[in-house]
Amino acid sequence: MSKILGLGNEFPQFEKTAVVSLEKGKEFSTITSESFKNDEDKWTVMFWWPKDFTFVCPTEIAEFNNKYEEFRDRDTTLIGASTDSEFVHAAWRRDHDDLRGLKFPMLADTSKSLADELGILEENEKVAYRATFIIDPQGIIRWVSAYDLNVGRSVDEVIRVLDALQTDELCPCNWEKGEDTIAA
Amino acid sequence: MEETLEVKNDLLNDLGLPSTESYKTLNILEDGNSRYIKDLRINLKNALKSNNLSDEEINLLGIALSSNVKNRSLTHYFTSTAKELGTTEDKIAEAVACASLLSSNNVLYRFRHFVGKDEYKKQPARIKMNIMMKLVVGKEFFELLSLAISAVNGCEMCVNAHEDSLIKMGTSEARIFDSIRLASVINSADRIFWN
Repeated sequence: MSKILGLGNEFPQFEKTAVVSLEKGKEFSTITSESFKNDEDKWTVMFWWPKDFTFVCPTEIAEFNNKYEEFRDRDTTLIGASTDSEFVHAAWRRDHDDLRGLKFPMLADTSKSLADELGILEENEKVAYRATFIIDPQGIIRWVSAYDLNVGRSVDEVIRVLDALQTDELCPCNWEKGEDTIAA
Repeated sequence: MEETLEVKNDLLNDLGLPSTESYKTLNILEDGNSRYIKDLRINLKNALKSNNLSDEEINLLGIALSSNVKNRSLTHYFTSTAKELGTTEDKIAEAVACASLLSSNNVLYRFRHFVGKDEYKKQPARIKMNIMMKLVVGKEFFELLSLAISAVNGCEMCVNAHEDSLIKMGTSEARIFDSIRLASVINSADRIFWN
């Protein structure tokens, strides 16, 4: 039984290669967990899929890409990930019409160490569940959703949750007597 | 800086405005690399979708609210979106009429409320409101438009009266608050999209 890393946990440290472009010589870049914890109020959304070159995945990944600007507007870094290697990622991106223009990095957890630490590795096939993590600027996991291998997810729901987690109503007109002052 | 320009252009595009259009305060935000452009874009996007208002109602509210503040760009945006949705011209006209009528009522009733003398309550208002006899948008929605405009124009008596009448008609508080949120966000957009 896998135990998914949950709310309030610090996101595990990692350093992985990701595909960031299709341009020759600029395909790969290193992504580390270091930027997750930052002073610029940047949030992170990391979403996982089981395998490249399957049918449900590109629809879902394209949907995240369509809504990329929504994440940008919310000062949120979007990262896609699976346990495939960076070379498989690059080949899939080149191969599929909906994936060529991806605006976010595709992270390669080839050793499966990160998926394992996150507790999202499916036991039989050793591939990642369709898990989504929202990580706050302190590097803490604030929301997790995980679906079985064949269930697609709603990107709008991720955005809705992000809106709810990020502070609004900082305005003092909403303070009520006796409440702690807001430390923003 | 580059990202701010990107968000600014997306925002203009959301509202069907050409990126060549120059808005004074929007340019100031861009020059100062202000994070507020992102906030404004999110607020507009969120206010323009609702589970309690139909798309047609959202755009009719938009027409009334942007014409209330005389904003040319926003009035143009909401009018063309409404037409694309198939909203008839008589409904669009009613939204504009509502904004104009309520702007007079808001002044008159606010005065009565401010001063609180019986003498002014006895004197007739002498403001024609015949459009309210037969409404193409329906009584409940006209009331909702009136409430949103009164909230923007700041007439306490009008806000209380329209809210109360909506609740009595069975309108949910969620529907009321969605229109007020839309009113507040359009008001903030009005401060940015003018030239």
